Amino acid sequence: MRMLFVMAASAALVLCGCGPSAPPSQTAKPRIALIMKSLANEFFLTMEKGARTHQAAHADQYELLANGIKDELDVGRQTQLVEQMIAQRVDAIVIAPADSKALVTACKKALDAGIVVVNIDNKFDDGVLADKGIQIPFVGPDNRKGARMVGEYVAKRLQAGDPVAIVEGVPTAFNAIQRKLGFEDALTAAGMKIVASQSAGWEMETANRAVSAMIMEHPELKAILCANDSMALGAVAALKAANKADSVLVAGFDNISAVHDLVKQGKVVATADQHADQLAVFGIEYALEMLVRKGAPADRETPVDLITAETIQP
Amino acid sequence: MTRYRWLADYVGLGLALAVLIGFFGLATNHFMSAGTFRNIANQIPEMMVVAAGMTFVLIIGGIDLSVGSVLAASGAVLGICLAQFHWPLPLAFLACLATGFVCGVANGVVSVAWRLPSFIVTLGMLEIARGAAYLLTHSQTQYIGRPVERLAEAHVFGLSLPFFAAVAVVLAGQAALSHTLFGRHALAVGANAEAARLSGIRVPAITIAVFALSGVLAAAAGAIQCARLGAADPNAGSGFELQAIAAAVIGGTSLMGGRGSIVKSFFGVLIIAVLGAGLFTLGAQESTKRIVTGGVIVAAVIFDYYRHRLEARA
Repeated sequence: MRMLFVMAASAALVLCGCGPSAPPSQTAKPRIALIMKSLANEFFLTMEKGARTHQAAHADQYELLANGIKDELDVGRQTQLVEQMIAQRVDAIVIAPADSKALVTACKKALDAGIVVVNIDNKFDDGVLADKGIQIPFVGPDNRKGARMVGEYVAKRLQAGDPVAIVEGVPTAFNAIQRKLGFEDALTAAGMKIVASQSAGWEMETANRAVSAMIMEHPELKAILCANDSMALGAVAALKAANKADSVLVAGFDNISAVHDLVKQGKVVATADQHADQLAVFGIEYALEMLVRKGAPADRETPVDLITAETIQP
Repeated sequence: MTRYRWLADYVGLGLALAVLIGFFGLATNHFMSAGTFRNIANQIPEMMVVAAGMTFVLIIGGIDLSVGSVLAASGAVLGICLAQFHWPLPLAFLACLATGFVCGVANGVVSVAWRLPSFIVTLGMLEIARGAAYLLTHSQTQYIGRPVERLAEAHVFGLSLPFFAAVAVVLAGQAALSHTLFGRHALAVGANAEAARLSGIRVPAITIAVFALSGVLAAAAGAIQCARLGAADPNAGSGFELQAIAAAVIGGTSLMGGRGSIVKSFFGVLIIAVLGAGLFTLGAQESTKRIVTGGVIVAAVIFDYYRHRLEARA
């Protein structure tokens, strides 16, 4: 039965052209499972590519099994993935959980099976971890800090008391909440007036309609801070349609390729780069360390950089 | 009396619209302004053309769940032809429409050839077209900018070219439905496909034509959205199918087929658009927005039910 699993796994690896075709059971290299959210999302796709590049460069050190789910919020499917990886007896699981609470139980099963678990991207809920009596290290950027950096840069270009607005991500997502808090930290500290803050569900078109309505209701707005770059693109289009492109600052988050030109032109004044291509790699490196070290796990913060017209790579 | 019965429908829809506009006008400071209505007019062309296509599909007793994905895939084709291949706009636009046409014809042919419910066939296309959009764009938002934005820029009284094009589509669609053989055949197929077949109507041809129309209109919507936002988003149009169906049903189109009006669906689009813009202007929370939008859709359908009972009695 086990052999069947292994064969199926290696067949799958060969089919998607993503790994060595030698059956994993013949090697002593640790096998690391990377479990991500939607591979339809540019962010996770970049993350996966980074991991594959890293694996190719360190093929002698570990094997990689990368998997994603179709829908970013499909908790059930992701739980199944974790269970499959336990059944395949991987050595470590690096996971970007679709839900910060619902995936803890599945990961506890993995820990109980002696598998190293490293949490990336979306941090597990501390309360639930404590309740289960387990520790899972989080390796990733501080979204709140990144958003604060973006907020501070925008605030520097405004005057105290200026009215500003926030376009939030999906209200239930941990990183959406952190980014909103980070923006708020910076804006309130600089004495800005947040006159509107609402969700556009990470989407460009929704953000476009939201921002059109916001600038109509608050014509005095001086800046719009968006929790991701897609929504910033929607905001830029809305301002352009309202002939306000030059009087309202727009900021984003993630530094996706589609905003590079706009950042250079100053139409998006700032965005934050969490090094998406390195996020999974940081988790994998940490897992490799833990496999050797077997010590008590601690969280590790990864860098977030502020990207503006001055700092962007040509 | 019967001569004016059709007028009662428009009075009802107009009244609902007036109540919504009145409410948001009172609840916010700047909703009641030319700018707001210009924004709404420039934001709804996509929904107008997709709802027109959807109305035809519903009239023949089918359903097209793939429109949102087809919108994204066609938009992706447009984006790539312009931004990567640097094709001239008319050629890229044709490629975009062709994508929608192929998807629509595929929906129609598969439904007809294997006598499958269009619900399941177009559900399949929903996945296929979305996957194609991800594949074409490598899951990355394609920034297009100038080459496509000029499509949405041509302003008359602040209204964009796509708005006038969409009005033309609605009028042409209504004319085709009410005054052509095609329209009468479509209504007959929806009322009773078997009876239509026996009376010599080519049901398969009508079905394929209607799905092809829906696909082409979804592609046109994709192009319009790209023009408005200056970028092609592979996640564009998710959930769009449900909004289009809701708009058609609010306008009194029967989900059972055989009854519907393109112009009334346009009123349905207006109601949904005004509601959306109003809730954004109000700064309502995501939870409130969803509950209110759902409530209005159900209320509109209940209203429609009573109106029909009254008509039946009269």
